Amino acid sequence: MDAFLTSRNVSDVLGGLASGVIYALVALSLVLIWRSTRMLNFAQGAMAVFATYIGFAILAPSTNYWVSMAVAIVAGLVLGGATERVLVRRLYGKPEINPIVAMVGLLLVLESVAAAIWSTSSRPLATPFSIVDWQLNHKPMALSPFAVYEIVTSLVVMAIVAALFQYTKLGLQLRAAALAPEVSRLLGVRVSRMLTIGWMLSTAVGAVTAVLVASNFFTGLTPSGMDGVFAFGFIAAAIGGLDSPVGAMVSGLALGVVFQFVGDYVNSNAIILVALGMLIVSLMVRPSGVFTRSAQRRV
Amino acid sequence: MIVVDDLSVSYGAVRALQSVSFEAPSGEITAVLGANGAGKTTLLRTISGLVAPLSGTVRKDDEVLTGRKTEDIVRLGVAHVPEGRGVIAEFTVEENLRLGFMIAQGSLPDALAEQYEMFPVLGERRRQAAATLSGGERQMLAMARALIARPSVLLLDEPSLGLAPLVTAQLMQQIRDLCAKESLTVVLVEQNASSALRIAQRAVVLRVGVVVANDSAVAVRDDENLRQYYLGMVE
Amino acid sequence: MERIVGSRLSVGLSVTAVVAVIVVVLSSSTRLAVALALGVAVLGVGATFVSLTAVRRDHPVATRALISVIVIDLAIFLTFRVSATSNSNVAIGAAMAIVLLGLSFLTGSSGQISLGNGAFMGVGAFTVGIWAEHHPTTPLVAVLVLATLAGALVGLVLGIPATRLRGPYLAGMTLAFAVAFGAILNMFSSWTGGDSGLQLPTAVVAPHWLASFFGPTASSLTTSSAWLADISIVVTGVALFLMANLFASRIGRAMRLVRDNDVAAELVGVSLPRARVIAFTVSAAYAALGGALWTLINNSVSPSTYSFVLSITILSLVVIGGIGTIPGAIMGGIIYAFSTGAISWLTAHLGLNPQGNVASQLDGIIFGGLLVITILFAPLGIAGLVRHGWRWWRRARPTGIVQ
Ligand SMILES: Nc1ncnc2c1ncn2[C@@H]1O[C@H](COP(=O)(O)OP(=O)(O)OP(=O)(O)O)[C@@H](O)[C@H]1O
Ligand SMILES: [Mg+2]
Repeated sequence: MDAFLTSRNVSDVLGGLASGVIYALVALSLVLIWRSTRMLNFAQGAMAVFATYIGFAILAPSTNYWVSMAVAIVAGLVLGGATERVLVRRLYGKPEINPIVAMVGLLLVLESVAAAIWSTSSRPLATPFSIVDWQLNHKPMALSPFAVYEIVTSLVVMAIVAALFQYTKLGLQLRAAALAPEVSRLLGVRVSRMLTIGWMLSTAVGAVTAVLVASNFFTGLTPSGMDGVFAFGFIAAAIGGLDSPVGAMVSGLALGVVFQFVGDYVNSNAIILVALGMLIVSLMVRPSGVFTRSAQRRV
Repeated sequence: MIVVDDLSVSYGAVRALQSVSFEAPSGEITAVLGANGAGKTTLLRTISGLVAPLSGTVRKDDEVLTGRKTEDIVRLGVAHVPEGRGVIAEFTVEENLRLGFMIAQGSLPDALAEQYEMFPVLGERRRQAAATLSGGERQMLAMARALIARPSVLLLDEPSLGLAPLVTAQLMQQIRDLCAKESLTVVLVEQNASSALRIAQRAVVLRVGVVVANDSAVAVRDDENLRQYYLGMVE
Repeated sequence: MERIVGSRLSVGLSVTAVVAVIVVVLSSSTRLAVALALGVAVLGVGATFVSLTAVRRDHPVATRALISVIVIDLAIFLTFRVSATSNSNVAIGAAMAIVLLGLSFLTGSSGQISLGNGAFMGVGAFTVGIWAEHHPTTPLVAVLVLATLAGALVGLVLGIPATRLRGPYLAGMTLAFAVAFGAILNMFSSWTGGDSGLQLPTAVVAPHWLASFFGPTASSLTTSSAWLADISIVVTGVALFLMANLFASRIGRAMRLVRDNDVAAELVGVSLPRARVIAFTVSAAYAALGGALWTLINNSVSPSTYSFVLSITILSLVVIGGIGTIPGAIMGGIIYAFSTGAISWLTAHLGLNPQGNVASQLDGIIFGGLLVITILFAPLGIAGLVRHGWRWWRRARPTGIVQ
């Protein structure tokens, strides 16, 4: 049993899950917006990083980690809502490249402003969890308290989002507004408010993700620190299907594990190439995603 | 009661309604008839605020609806079952109904029970995705979803579309009973003029956006000219 | 009609002759005078012919060639007059204009967008660097063609999925490529030189005959920066000419049909997948050509240049200049050439510390901000505004000719 838990393959799976949950969260926040507005939020990573800076760089460095995280989440809610109200709202009904361009512009502005205020050098966050692996009979187990914290937090966030959508009145309205905006209005759903709330939620999920990413001692917080994570999250969402929250999350987890094996057995530079290859193949084979039911579309 | 006063609507250069005026009294069914493109759907969409009129007003009792948002008009008790029913296919039957109940007061379980009693087939399929319902069942779901919030005005856009004659007759009967029981104001848009006129008390006939008749249903039914030229009821 | 043509020809040619004479009289050396007069003559004759409606209507290809020659001519005049720093900015900007032409073609013809053209530039840039290590004596033109083909090949591979993808998916895929590019270079670090990149074994310098032609008096004309700027400009002119023909060709028109209406295009018999792959491949090839020039201009290639930010900058320039149009792409290149100077001017006037955080991020803030503002308020960019203004001006002043 001990030998099993410290074996190379098991530790790859565990390590893969720890990064997979991050991709799953990014994918989830992309899906939240895609479903309601048919936009891919290219600024998602930059918005998340910006919210994290607000939580961890504006407050005094001695501020409690959890307080900073809460501030970052609130900042995410505000930033997401403001972006929808000020920018995104003007892009509904425009050609599909307009929102892409606008969100890329926002990405550049947010990353540059963050770098101008807080510099491009990495800022370590005072994580309350050690990244040193646990030992089992004096052998490392590929699982650290930090990795467990990362996995648990992500699963909690996903569970909260799922429960919100599945079991609350607000969730029902959010889903309805995304699926059938006009019918929803006829039933009294304030659709434009739902769109704002969708962006708020998505950016708050993004803020938690960025906090987790930056909490890793090795990466720390940098203005462009989410670019790569965003790319993996997008790949996960595209493979799983931008319309399917469950598919996006499952494929995020799966990608994390696959990448860990590639990194371990091949080399770490090959990961992104494999990711790109998987994206291309999956888009060729199933352009709308592995988990999207192709039948049963709106009538 | 719904009062439409001198209503004009246009889509860009296309004039869809021209000075339309009529009243739809409470407790009665007002049929709105006319050929394809006459402006019937536009009329209902304007009443529920989805389309802004060029000029004119819509009132419900003493409240002016014109200029309000759809979401607020619905909260004033105006339920609109759109053309094509607007059932959310990805939702279960019960989720559709819960969405309809969202603006209402009171107990959801009671309200659901009441609708399931009125439309037993919906109760049997409550956990099923609406996409799997038949056309007639979807129409019932759309009606139940509109009624569950206890509206005082019911706007129906071609409820008989795609239904078998027998189902249509049942549906019309159900609408009539509801109207009488709840003292609803029903505005019923129909292509199928004969079945609508059978249950309606009043009738408004539109021709390319203009009212050509506004009278009791009986009078419209018996008017040979109207029947022949506008309603296509050649028997 | 005949008379109008005749009079315009004679006016144009005489003005050209007069200006050429003035230039000759004012020049310091005979040989410089010859060069300048030649330039004026090309410009004047070219402009005169292009201004004739009959020429534009009956000889479109020749017209495009003349316009390209005029652009080259004007730009080379510029390199005579400016400092070495400005010349390298011109060279860099001209190469950027090529990249922008490619992206503009992709968007203008197929309505798609790529966020990975910075990485495609990198493909061309590293092709030159790697090739030069092993075959330092290869002629310039051959190196450029090779780099372009390398870009086209990578573009083709990534372009195949583009056949089935629409907007956001394609943009996301190209973004992933742009983000991945650094890791890809690292994977082949024995070739690409890892983090430090590659140095060209021999710098590109002005050929001997040029220096000896002008003599010592005009040495500033034969500096390597002026020479590099001239090369860059000529290549840009050729790329411009080819692109103008491509835009107007059957393929180009068919692609615009694709952009505006997929279904109509299918009915007309345009193969959608092929049209999309062609557009994507051409845009990658143009990007690679621009990147190849950058390696020649800088005499080296470094992986940090071809980061994701470059891809976004390319997008900004295209959008600000005017997406989907040739003048917009040229405008974007000009903006890029002057942006370094403009931003350091701004840094000085705002009293910012040039080494500080804010100064180093100013370009990102400005480009990003302009990108958002442009897409919201003038989605067709400067080219669109100019066209709008021109139409308005034409309408405000009736010409008096009844058609
Ligand atoms: N969104 C729109 N934009 C432009 N024109 C429209 C729009 N909606 C409707 N129209 C036009 O307005 C006119 C009235 O349309 P409307 O849908 O109200 O007719 P209708 O009486 O409901 O017809 P049907 O019986 O076929 O449903 C038609 O000529 C139609 O083409
Ligand atoms: Mg209709």
